[in-house]
Amino acid sequence: MNRLVDFSSTHSKTASADCSLEATFRDPAGQLRLTEDCALRQIRPAAWEETQAFLASPLCNALEQSGDLIASKIARPDDHACIADGELWLEHPRVDPISYPWEWTTAQWRAAAELTLRVASQAVAAGWALKDATPLNILFAGPRPVLVDVLSFERRDPRVTVWLAYGQFVRTFLLPLVAAKYLSWPLQAMLFTRDGYEPGDIYKALPRRQRINPALFDVVTLATLLERRGQKADEAKKMPSASDPDLAAHILQKRITRLGKQIRHAAGSPNRSQWSNYTQLAHHYQPGDTEQKQRFVREALERCRPAEVLDIGANTGSYSRIAAETGAKVVALDSDAAALEALWEMAALEDLAVTALVANIARPTPAAGWRNREQLSLLDRLTGKFDLVLMLAVIHHLILREQLPLKHIAELSASLTRRWLLVEWVPPSDPMYQEWLRGRDELYGHLTEDDLQRAFLPFFAVAERLELSNRRVLLLLERTAEQTDATFDADNPHCEAQPLDKAGAA
Amino acid sequence: MKLLRIFPLVLILLGAVMLSERPAYGYTDPGTGLLAIQAAGSALVATGWYLRRKLHAFFQNREQTEHNPAEQTGILNTEDPPRV
Repeated sequence: MNRLVDFSSTHSKTASADCSLEATFRDPAGQLRLTEDCALRQIRPAAWEETQAFLASPLCNALEQSGDLIASKIARPDDHACIADGELWLEHPRVDPISYPWEWTTAQWRAAAELTLRVASQAVAAGWALKDATPLNILFAGPRPVLVDVLSFERRDPRVTVWLAYGQFVRTFLLPLVAAKYLSWPLQAMLFTRDGYEPGDIYKALPRRQRINPALFDVVTLATLLERRGQKADEAKKMPSASDPDLAAHILQKRITRLGKQIRHAAGSPNRSQWSNYTQLAHHYQPGDTEQKQRFVREALERCRPAEVLDIGANTGSYSRIAAETGAKVVALDSDAAALEALWEMAALEDLAVTALVANIARPTPAAGWRNREQLSLLDRLTGKFDLVLMLAVIHHLILREQLPLKHIAELSASLTRRWLLVEWVPPSDPMYQEWLRGRDELYGHLTEDDLQRAFLPFFAVAERLELSNRRVLLLLERTAEQTDATFDADNPHCEAQPLDKAGAA
Repeated sequence: MKLLRIFPLVLILLGAVMLSERPAYGYTDPGTGLLAIQAAGSALVATGWYLRRKLHAFFQNREQTEHNPAEQTGILNTEDPPRV
C-alpha cells in the first residue's frame, strides 16, 4: 500500500497538518497526488467517460509506446488507502526528480515545446485535442521530455478551427523564449508567473524594429493590437469553425507547424559562457591530472556502485557522464545555463540517464505556487535521495563566491547523500582559487585541506584520498552512522574548532 | 480566367470560415488577441487550401485532356458504355 508523500518535515510549520502534495487542482477533470512510489490522479465523474475513451484509444497507445506520454493504469483501491469505493483513479510511475521549467536550459524548453506540438499534431490527426499546453505538464525523465498530464486530452469538435490551448502555448512556451532571446529576460523568471507573458508585456518592451519581425508579428504585435478590453462573456465562447472537417484539421495542423517554426526561431543557437568551454580551457589542469582525476572518480563509482548520483557544479557533464556510464541515474546541477545546455545536449544525444537542472546549490530554487505548495523547493526534491554526491571543484566557489563557511557546506552535503561524498579540495595556491580570492587573503587565504576535513569529519570518514600533481586533492568520504554537533569557532566561522581526526585519512 | 471565376467562391469560403461560430468549452484562457489572430490565420489558411485544391483540379483536368485526345475529339472508346 502506498503512502502519500509527507512533506511536513520540509515545509514551514505554519502548513496544515495534512501535508500530502496536491500537485494539481485547477483542472475540473481531476487532481493529482504524489506518493513515494507513484503519482495518483483522481478523475472526477464528469470526466470518466472521456478519460476512459482516451486511455482505450490508439492515440494514447501510440503516445505511450513512443515515450512521449506517461504510462497510465487504473489504480486499485486495495493498493492505495486514499481511494474510496466508486472512485476512478489512475496510477502513473513517478518521474524523479521533478524538474520545473524555471530550472531548464533553453534547449530543454525547445525540446519540451516540440514535444507538446508533436503530441498536439498527433491528437488533431486522431480526432482529439490538447486542452492545455503548458511547460508545467512536461517533466524530464533523464534528458527526455515526457507529457505527464493525461487529462490534457479532449475530443475535438471536427469543425472548429481554433485550438483553445494556443493562447496558453504562446504565453507559456513561445513568449518566454522570445523574451529570453530579444530582451534577455531570464527563463528562470517563469518561477514568478503561472500563465507566462501576455503579448502586450512583450510588445511594450520590444524595440520597434522587432515588432515587425515576421517571426513575432502575429503573436506579439497583432495579438496586442487585436486585444479587446471589456469583452462580453458570451463573445469569448464563440469559436470560428469551418464547414469541412478536413479543412478544420488542415488549419489546425498549419497552426501547429507555424508554432514549431516560431519556437525554433526563438530558441536560437546554443549559448556560450565562461563556463561552457571550461573543460576545454582548463589550463590549470595538465592532461595527466585530468586522466588521474577521471580514473579516481570512475574507480570510486565502480567501487561504491551508487544507484542515484547528484553532481553539484556539473559544468558540461564530464563526470555526470562517467557516473551514468557506470549505471547510475544522475541529477546534474549547475547555475551556468550555457554549460548545462551542453551537458543536456550530450545526454540527449547519447541517451544517458542524466537529468539537468539549472540551479545554484547555494541559493536553491524556492517552493512556488499556491501557498508555496504547488511546486517543491530544490532541497525538498533532493534531500536524502542520493547514494553518492559529487562535489568536484565546487567547494572553493561556495567559500569564495557565496561566502559559505565549511561547516555549513559539510552539513548540506551530509543531508544530500545517504552514504558517499566525493569532494575535490582546491588549495588557495590554485589559480582558480586566487582568481576569486580578490584580496580577501585574511579571511580565506589560509584555508587548508585540514580545515576541510575538520568540517566534514563529524559527518563522514575518509575512505580514499588522492593528491594530484597540481596539488588539488580528491577525497572519497563515507557517511558515518550519526553526526555530531560540531562546535563552532566564533572567531573564524570558516574553520572548525574541533581537533582534526586523522584516523580515517588515507 | 478560370481562376477569376473561382474568386467569388473563395470569398464565400472565407465568409464561412470567419462567420461560422460554435460554442467552445475550455478551462485555459484563450486570450482575446491570440484568439483573434487564430481566426484571421484560419481565413488565410482556408484561402490557400481552397486555391490549391482548385489549382490542382485545374491542372489535373488539363493533363487528363492532353492524355486523352479521344475525349477532346469526341471519339469514344468502343469499350466505354454508351452515354445516356
